[in-house]
Amino acid sequence: MQIKKIFNFYEKIPFSYKTSFLIFIIAGGMFSIIVLSQISMYALKNDFDFLFEKRTKPIIKLETIKDTFAINIYDTLYDVQHDNITISQSKDVIVLGQQLINKNWLSYKKTSLSKSEDTFFVTELIKTLVLNPSSTHNEKLQHNIIKNIDRKIALINKKINTIYILFSQKNEEEAIFLIDKINFDINSINIYLTNLTNYDLNLAIDEKINTQEVFNILSNILNLSIFLVFLFCILLSIIIINNFRVSHYILEAAIEDKTKELLKLNDSLANKVKTEVLNSRKKDIIMFQQAKLASLGEMISNIAHQWRQPLSSILMIVQSFQVKMSLGKLTQEYMDEKVNDAILLSQNMSNTLEDFQNYFKPNKEKSIFKISDCINHSLSLSKYILDQEKIEVHLIIKEDLSTFGFYNELSHVLLNMISNSKDALKNKSNNKLIKIVLKCQNNFIVIKIYDNGGGIKQEALPHIFDPYYTTKYKSAGTGIGLYMSKQIIEKHMNGNIKCKNVYYNINKAIFEDCALFIMAIPIVKAKDE
Amino acid sequence: MNRNLNILNQFNILYIEDDKSLLKHTKDILDDFAKEVYAVNTSKEAFEIINCYTIDIIICDILLENENGIDFLKDLKENKKIFIPSILATAHTDTKYLLEAIKLKIDHYIVKPINVKELLNTLHDILLPQIQEKELRKNINVIKTISAITDSKQVEIIKYMISNLDEKNQLFTSYLEIMQKISVSKPTLIKLFKDLASKKILNKIAHKTYFFDEDALNSL
Repeated sequence: MQIKKIFNFYEKIPFSYKTSFLIFIIAGGMFSIIVLSQISMYALKNDFDFLFEKRTKPIIKLETIKDTFAINIYDTLYDVQHDNITISQSKDVIVLGQQLINKNWLSYKKTSLSKSEDTFFVTELIKTLVLNPSSTHNEKLQHNIIKNIDRKIALINKKINTIYILFSQKNEEEAIFLIDKINFDINSINIYLTNLTNYDLNLAIDEKINTQEVFNILSNILNLSIFLVFLFCILLSIIIINNFRVSHYILEAAIEDKTKELLKLNDSLANKVKTEVLNSRKKDIIMFQQAKLASLGEMISNIAHQWRQPLSSILMIVQSFQVKMSLGKLTQEYMDEKVNDAILLSQNMSNTLEDFQNYFKPNKEKSIFKISDCINHSLSLSKYILDQEKIEVHLIIKEDLSTFGFYNELSHVLLNMISNSKDALKNKSNNKLIKIVLKCQNNFIVIKIYDNGGGIKQEALPHIFDPYYTTKYKSAGTGIGLYMSKQIIEKHMNGNIKCKNVYYNINKAIFEDCALFIMAIPIVKAKDE
Repeated sequence: MNRNLNILNQFNILYIEDDKSLLKHTKDILDDFAKEVYAVNTSKEAFEIINCYTIDIIICDILLENENGIDFLKDLKENKKIFIPSILATAHTDTKYLLEAIKLKIDHYIVKPINVKELLNTLHDILLPQIQEKELRKNINVIKTISAITDSKQVEIIKYMISNLDEKNQLFTSYLEIMQKISVSKPTLIKLFKDLASKKILNKIAHKTYFFDEDALNSL
């Protein structure tokens, strides 16, 4: 339960905290491992040092003492016994030997009896905690041996003194006897020393075993701690990975949801786009109709203008009959003359109607027609407005070509262009010119329409083909004309339409600020279709 | 109002219209009524006609070829100081033209297509004052001549009486009043009044009130 609680608590910790926790634990574990290993290494080194300093060195000293007894004292005494050296000489050697023995002995005692307080606290701790204090009972033995050795050394020294006293009294026989005795003493001391050495060696072995033990324990602790850290790390990693997985699933689910939503949105957008496209197509159709209606209005006003004059005349003729009749002056000749005039006038009116009828006729059939015919027809349809504004038109046909398409649509475009040029020229006082050039260029029929109406304003230039963009007053322009023209040329005729401002030479006079519309229509033959 | 269109035959008409066909047909009609119809296409020709002939009235189309009828009339009135009654004819019912026409004190404005009767009536209405003026001047001359050869005092008294008539052709006066204004003897005055009364021209209807009977003049 407790663990579960902790786990639950851990689950609730924010993810960033978990990761820092992991890092902290890993770092802590590593640090503790490093510290532990350092400590154990240091402890082991310390133990070895101790072993060497406290156990090996005293043994060497004991050996030295032994040797000194054997060489300095015993051999000297032997030499004296056999008269190899003088007594005074031997005395010097023996004194030296005694001094050496004393010195070594003292230092041995000092090292072996001093308490080993400088051992490392960790090893001490482990030793006290883990090892049973086995070596303490041996210390008595050591003390006994040391005491015996002390006594023996004192005895030997006394005997040596006695020997020398005897030598000085010339009691050589007794001296030699004593020397033999000393030999025994030296031998016994040697045995004692050997005992001590053994003791020390035993101690060293014990300690070595202890060190081994400590090493084992330390390495076990180290391994355990490594294992624990490892375990903990794995545990944490598992938890975090689990967390990752959970969050991944959550995210995946969220993404799936979002994807679904997006798909839905996409679908609805696609639908919207579809409907919008339909709408815009409808709008295009409506605009096309609007444009058509606008030009229809213009055409009707053209017809009206062209009809007004003959209509006035005919009306006058009709009224003249009444007047003449009332005056009694109506003669046959007068009647004939007037009727003929009226017939001519009405024929003229009828012709006008026919001209425009072609324009209005919704002929959906593509046909082969001459571009020049279309241009001429369009010009004749706009004749009235052009005359009214006193606009001169120069038509230059370099190459006359036929095309296959909708006659009316091209006518519509041309009329629109002419109408635009007329509007641009309206405010000019004189010298109003339109120049139309028809030629063939790179398999394209190119119609260029120039007018010296001042060109197109720079800011309007990029927008003039946009729908509902107009520079004219609201009442004058719908902003559809050029858009529809572009649609017709580009969509229906696969051509292109451009406009720019140019310097141009019309009728041998150079005009600045001419607007130029270039329409390029691919040459299409009926059989290609 | 019944108009006597015959009065038109005393006048010369200048007609300016750029549509030749309409010009011809209209001229054919007007020829029957006017003394002379000068039909021209341009203002230049019109000026020539005006310089050569006496023109009594101008009919001008507003929209002429390459020019404007209003500008022509403006030029005529303001620069050349020639004041001839003028009628504007136009297919445009544009108020812009109308305002300019009013400023120019155009006499009339007819809308195309022209209604001949309307045109003739308009011509009559504009030219009638001229006829009347001529008539008036003629009458004044007659009276002046008569007074020169007869008793000028009697003519003077009649002039006074007629000029003091009120709306109902009644005269409020006395002999004394007349004698104060005109140095005339009372017997002459009484004789004149009696003469007029006997011819039922001036009838006494109350004290110092006389009625002037116009119909009595016609029955003389």
